[in-house]
Amino acid sequence: MKAYLRGNYTLDVKIEETSESDSPETTEAFERTALARLGGSICFVSKKAFLWKGDGTNGAGEATRPRA
Amino acid sequence: MELGKRLAHALERATFERVAAVGLANAELNRPRIGRSILELADTASGGTALVIGAGPSLHGRRSLARLAAHGFAGTVVAADGALGACLRAGVVPDVVVTVDPHPDRIVRWFGDPSLTRASDDDYFRRQEMDPAHAVDEVGTNAALVRLVDTHGPRIRVAIATSASPAVAARCASAGMQLFWWNPMVDDYERAESLSRRLHADNGLPCLNGGGNVGTAAWVVAHAVLGARRVGLVGIDFGYAPDTPYERTQYYPELREMLGERFVEAFVHETSLATGERWFSDPAYHWFREVFLDMAREAGCETVNCTEGGLLYGPGIRVEALETFLVSGR
Repeated sequence: MKAYLRGNYTLDVKIEETSESDSPETTEAFERTALARLGGSICFVSKKAFLWKGDGTNGAGEATRPRA
Repeated sequence: MELGKRLAHALERATFERVAAVGLANAELNRPRIGRSILELADTASGGTALVIGAGPSLHGRRSLARLAAHGFAGTVVAADGALGACLRAGVVPDVVVTVDPHPDRIVRWFGDPSLTRASDDDYFRRQEMDPAHAVDEVGTNAALVRLVDTHGPRIRVAIATSASPAVAARCASAGMQLFWWNPMVDDYERAESLSRRLHADNGLPCLNGGGNVGTAAWVVAHAVLGARRVGLVGIDFGYAPDTPYERTQYYPELREMLGERFVEAFVHETSLATGERWFSDPAYHWFREVFLDMAREAGCETVNCTEGGLLYGPGIRVEALETFLVSGR
């Protein structure tokens, strides 16, 4: 804001500008960083079978549960 | 939305980015050792009933293992690797132990690490809540576990993911454990460029959808591989007991480093339906629970929560006292 607003007077109080760390962009960047450190020890693939044994000889997938 | 829940919703993708590459690398390193497939264990659940043992705090708080040992169980006992030490110390020898985590040097400790001669620089085992014995006496507990695993290893089958550290595979083999291999499902196997498909093409092993953590993977093994139609759970809490200091939670260092004083916001507090206590989860445990509930709704088994604590409640989950479930396995 300082780049666009210039007054011809002097304030007696100090104006605290909003910290950059509170901006949505920084929050998203932080959460991306956080996620890289969290997470599980094995993946979860949603809407997929519990166990996939490979494609059958007829080309049909062999899986333990149907796709949701 | 709370910060903890917001982070939890993004963990499916984050877990892929965290473990897929190292898991694939371990699959290659393990290749010379890969022999028998987990499919050789298909439909071996005794009486169609299995009890899955996780390493959550209720396992110790409710004395689940001592009660199991005293009562007996005719079904199949499937343990997550982190619960193996507590099982053996309680006189419970699991039929199957499941291991999956690709961490290069931590996981071998769950099997007793013969190379450990002094307390590790890594404070993980002194801080973790899954097996408190390691936190009390890291070296002594490990030495005792080495002896227990060496003694009982030949009776134990290990359902080992190709993503597991080669150090774990070597330790299990040296203890005489029988290894049965599987691939972790890392993505949609129906896509031509799928990494899961590539893993299967390379080694011929089936791909198992693990649900984010070894406890859920053990439950999947119990019903989707062993064929159990009724699966009980102990020590599968997906949360921390009310009096647990934040410092003793799994992801505390990461959350503290990243969030500073805001780290508390990442924890989600909820009431345990079993006890009325206020348990809490971190983003990872919250995600694990949501995934488990999603999977339980579609499982071809009855899932029975015998933890008497924790946060795993919802559609598809029946709640029973442990002894009631154990009787059903006779």
